Amino acid sequence: MPSTPEKVHVALVYQSLLGIYGDRGNATVVTKRLQWRGFEPVLTVVEPGDPLPQDAHIYLIGGGEDAAQISAARLLRADGALQRAAERGAAVFGVCAGYQILGRSFTVGEHDQVTEGLGLLDVTTTRGPQRAVGELLGTWSGADGEARHITGFENHGGWTTRGPDAEPFCTVEVGIGNGDGTDGAVNGTVIGLYPHGPLLARNPALADHVISLGLGGRELPPLDHPEIAELRRQRLAAVRPGR
Amino acid sequence: MAPMTTQTLQRPAAPAAPRSPVRRLRSRLARLAGGAAAAASRLSGRGSGASIRGQVMLRLDPDALATLLQGRRIVAVSGTNGKTTTTHLLAAAVRQGLGDQAHRLVTNADGANLHHGIASALSRSPRADVAVLETDERVVADVVRLGRPEVLVLLNFSRDQLDRHHEIKALGRSWRNALEAAGEDGPVVVANAEEPLIVWAAQTARRVVWVDTASTWQQDASLCPQCGAGLARTQPDPETGEGGDWSCTGCELAEPRADLRVRDGEIVDADGRRWRPDLQVPGAFNVGNAAHALAAARLLGVGTEDALAGMHTVTAPAGRFATARFGDTTARLLLAKNPAGWAEALPLATTSTVVLAIDSAAADGRDVSWLWDVEYEQLAGRNVVCTGPRAVDLAVRLRYAEVEHQVEPDLARALAGHPEPVDVIATYTPFQRLRRMGGV
Ligand SMILES: [Zn+2]
Repeated sequence: MPSTPEKVHVALVYQSLLGIYGDRGNATVVTKRLQWRGFEPVLTVVEPGDPLPQDAHIYLIGGGEDAAQISAARLLRADGALQRAAERGAAVFGVCAGYQILGRSFTVGEHDQVTEGLGLLDVTTTRGPQRAVGELLGTWSGADGEARHITGFENHGGWTTRGPDAEPFCTVEVGIGNGDGTDGAVNGTVIGLYPHGPLLARNPALADHVISLGLGGRELPPLDHPEIAELRRQRLAAVRPGR
Repeated sequence: MAPMTTQTLQRPAAPAAPRSPVRRLRSRLARLAGGAAAAASRLSGRGSGASIRGQVMLRLDPDALATLLQGRRIVAVSGTNGKTTTTHLLAAAVRQGLGDQAHRLVTNADGANLHHGIASALSRSPRADVAVLETDERVVADVVRLGRPEVLVLLNFSRDQLDRHHEIKALGRSWRNALEAAGEDGPVVVANAEEPLIVWAAQTARRVVWVDTASTWQQDASLCPQCGAGLARTQPDPETGEGGDWSCTGCELAEPRADLRVRDGEIVDADGRRWRPDLQVPGAFNVGNAAHALAAARLLGVGTEDALAGMHTVTAPAGRFATARFGDTTARLLLAKNPAGWAEALPLATTSTVVLAIDSAAADGRDVSWLWDVEYEQLAGRNVVCTGPRAVDLAVRLRYAEVEHQVEPDLARALAGHPEPVDVIATYTPFQRLRRMGGV
């Protein structure tokens, strides 16, 4: 543990536009896990109209309704800070609408209006054959290569097609995700996933992975919380009856 | 407030249109079958039977709701939070106004507010010609279309059960379209001026009485429902007691001038007259609910003094704020269904031990992500007991809020053995279980 706490800058992007499903929980989780390890997290809640910080280690983007998503994508394209953040290797983590915004384009609304995204992930989102609403269970290979479950709740109308430059983030056992048996996408330090809200609360290894990416790949001492392990056990049991 | 109405409460409703003998017979059979199903449900201990009665009736007679709404003077009450309490406040006000004719009032006091719940309540009082109806947000458009209410109360509009109705704007649009289609036959709307989506939805109404409840919750509205631009807000001024207001940065939509305002626990009208409602239900938000109920009661022709006297009699609408015994434990029951509701309920929970009950059944919303939009941090230093099927989801939220807590998923065990009174805040399904367990 450093003697003077090391500052780690976390930016929560457009909370009032992209925070519909408790997505601020991801910022709570990231800052607390930093604090519990002796870092000094500095959280900036960025609202529309304010510029994004240029020097954050970690950028978190949540989900929102259609009109909010379109507004947010336009503002973020004009701002440019997320593209620069990805170039310099900061962690950029988006869920739900935030994931779609990180891609090349997405369609929302009754008229399937196409909106350009940030192009940080090689994915394209169009209206799916059905709305994806419910628990999602996936498997990713953690930073150490060990297989780990992803558990979360998804609620989105768009399904996502990966281009040749997009690695899926995880395979999907229960739920819809991208719609092709995978969920999310990853490109360097940029990660997008469908399960919204406090996804990082249910998936502490993923939370630590995002933090580690923001700190240039640094290894973090483990944190042990039996309640989080119990929550993961319960959610897995809920979506895998009889197993 | 200028004289709000030329109505008098004593005016009878317009008679229902005559129906053919066949349709009358079908209605009657449907009512009988519904009553039998309700009785069976009560006997088997499954509940009040209101819901099953309505379901059976509507299956046998799909026009039952339209038929039952006819020939009555109707006030519909809707919104995300506070509809049950406001319905009780308004019904009590109208009951007081009716005096010895109180039997003319029908209301769905049990909170069953979907098509079948409303039909069930109406079918049990065929002769009551004044109806105060709690109405689910999804049913408002149908009630406006089928029942031609005189007054529609729209309290607020916030995120609730997004796994089911994922876009709240679509609901607002359904209200707006129904009011537009009703035109001059439509209701006078009593609406919350602080909520952009409600203001937009009520624009098509023939007349609106605006209420400013001095609410501080604004996390659910950031974009203009009309044009999509950002909303600008001025913050409330604690010095002058003036509330903040909002306006669109892209079009003319802005907070309308209120006809009734809530300030420091008082209801103030446009002429500066003030009333302090002597309520037995707690919390500043219930003064806001009372302001809506007062406006609606006056539109029906109830005098202000009668309305306030009636509202004073309301103590525990459908179990909300009721105190019950659970073995040796005395507990007060608070309901909170979404972040806005929790923001209201948490400051009311003042006991040293607080029990929080969380479920994710259909009626609660299957997604508990909203736990992260509630400021549980304010419970630091208290004894918190997490209960209900999603107790561990709450426990993890509290861990990150650094609030000490115990986990006891079983409701009865979570409530057992508290020597001091406890406040319980519950989502919908555990709240209903607690009502049954506590007999309230
Ligand atoms: Zn506008």
